[in-house]
Amino acid sequence: MTLSWQLELVSIGAVAPVVMRLLREDLVSRLSHAVWIAEASISPVPAFDHHRQQYLASALLEMLLVPPPPPGVRRIAVTDVDLFLPVFTHVFGSAQLDGPVGVASTFRLHPDAVAGTVDPEVLRHRLLKEVLHELGHTFGLVHCRVPWCAMSPSRLPEEVDLKDAAYCTACAVRVGVPEEIPYHLDEQDPP
Amino acid sequence: MTPRTPHLLIVDDELHVRESLSHWFIEDGYEVSTASGGKEALALLGRQHFDVVITDIRMPGMDGLELQKRIHEVDPEVAIILVTAYASVSTAVQALKEGAYDYLVKPFDPEELSRVVEKACEKVRLREENVALKQRLAGIGHEIVTGSSAAMKRVLELVDSVAPTDATVLIRGESGTGKELIARLIHARSPRSFGPMVAVNCGALSEGILESELFGHEKGAFTGAASRRKGKLELADGGTLFLDEIGEITPRVQVDLLRALEDRKITRVGGTQEIPVDFRVVCATNRDLEKAVREGTFREDLYYRINVFQIHIPPLRERPEDTMAIAEHFLKKYAAAMGRRVTGFSSAARELLLRYPWPGNVRELANAIERALVVCPEGQIEPGHLPIVGRTTREAGADEDDLSLQAMEHRHILKVLRLNEFNITRAAKMLGIDRVTLYNKMKKYGIERP
Repeated sequence: MTLSWQLELVSIGAVAPVVMRLLREDLVSRLSHAVWIAEASISPVPAFDHHRQQYLASALLEMLLVPPPPPGVRRIAVTDVDLFLPVFTHVFGSAQLDGPVGVASTFRLHPDAVAGTVDPEVLRHRLLKEVLHELGHTFGLVHCRVPWCAMSPSRLPEEVDLKDAAYCTACAVRVGVPEEIPYHLDEQDPP
Repeated sequence: MTPRTPHLLIVDDELHVRESLSHWFIEDGYEVSTASGGKEALALLGRQHFDVVITDIRMPGMDGLELQKRIHEVDPEVAIILVTAYASVSTAVQALKEGAYDYLVKPFDPEELSRVVEKACEKVRLREENVALKQRLAGIGHEIVTGSSAAMKRVLELVDSVAPTDATVLIRGESGTGKELIARLIHARSPRSFGPMVAVNCGALSEGILESELFGHEKGAFTGAASRRKGKLELADGGTLFLDEIGEITPRVQVDLLRALEDRKITRVGGTQEIPVDFRVVCATNRDLEKAVREGTFREDLYYRINVFQIHIPPLRERPEDTMAIAEHFLKKYAAAMGRRVTGFSSAARELLLRYPWPGNVRELANAIERALVVCPEGQIEPGHLPIVGRTTREAGADEDDLSLQAMEHRHILKVLRLNEFNITRAAKMLGIDRVTLYNKMKKYGIERP
């Protein structure tokens, strides 16, 4: 049975509009649910920690809850800023477990980010997987032991590449993604 | 079997730290509990088991080091990871000395934190598996030694009482009664069960080969010693050395063996260096060692050295109530191996099995069942399937009416052995076979030296 939900994408900070558009297209073609991009982007400044020179992920999640998403709507933000949680040096993203909001950062997803060069395709693939990952958490999914599943944990950007832009069967059922929908990024869409 | 979910306890006086770590590890699939201080943590630990405790060092009241000490007093198996916002080598060293699993500095690299906790859980899991395996090994025996007679129960009681000690054991019993099986059982149920179990058949080897086999040799020690080789005594280090047919070893090897058993040191053949060895000795024999001592063919000091604890395995004819249980055991085992759909024994076959005296004991019974299954692919085993049909006496195999090649071989070997007064070397020479083959054939037919 397919669950009824919709996904709202929100940009936080200076995320390029093309990144958001491509992400939406990738998600629409792979999920059988409505996906749209919120018109207004959010400033990350209130979540900035001067001591750490990073942005507090939990503060961004609280900002995403204002106003609360309508029932049945998941709100996932994409940001280009470096996220942290007080006890961690950094996080790739964060989400409310079984809650309506989550955030994924592109800051540490690019291997050449420090060198200043960016491969848009690598970033696109990794961002899609991380958004699917945070979206899964909003459905109460914990990390999955299936290595290729989008819900398996990634501690390094290169580990993200080892996953598919897809959920394993068990996780797909929990998220409400029909199993017959081909949602692997590298597969061709059905005619 | 699905491994159980590891249970973590996070102890920190700061709420946001507890919440962040709890959230992180729940996402990672762990079961997580939290406590705001040492007292609350100890209360939780008193109620349930935790695999890993992650605790802050600096907390009001009881600090992390004190908590670690108190936890390990109650449960030393819990892995404790100490965390602090202040990197201090001396604190880390102290924590590790006190038995902490690891030490982390806040803020954590998420990758490092997950890795450390994963490794701690893996260590706990391996230890649990180790304990479970030891318990399983301790349970081995009453299944592998089939038989519920009072005599076999007594044997198993003796095994249970001697196995946990390091005492030398002498197992006595006729050929085919399962002396090696009992030796393996003693090893499996001993604290040395994770060490090697090395068996040597002393009767099957000539003096020179046995010496090299037991003590090893250096390169060039004799013709053919192309390289250094460790002996069985060295290989048994940390485990159990089983010396089967101990009564067959020559006087010279007896001297060397006695010295090795007393000094716990060996010297390889052709070598000069003494090598320390640590093993438990289990010996077996079907010979009358006391008579051999009286006759001067077996050293008295070696006899007392190996005869610390004695276990006698009664022959099968003295415990007929075990015969059918053992027969059923081998029927199941061989039928499964051969893919036979044999359902059991007919009443006539049962009667025959119970009437026959089994001079070759369990080994002969096992061979008889295996042979019966070769000729009986399905249904029930009938007397005609059993190679013992027509034999009812101790030397049934030597029955003159039985013209099978096997019976004739049995009779011929007995005849040659008697002719040579059971001197194995001379009898083997006369038969045109080597000593090992003759020993094997004697075992097969249940022939014993008088």
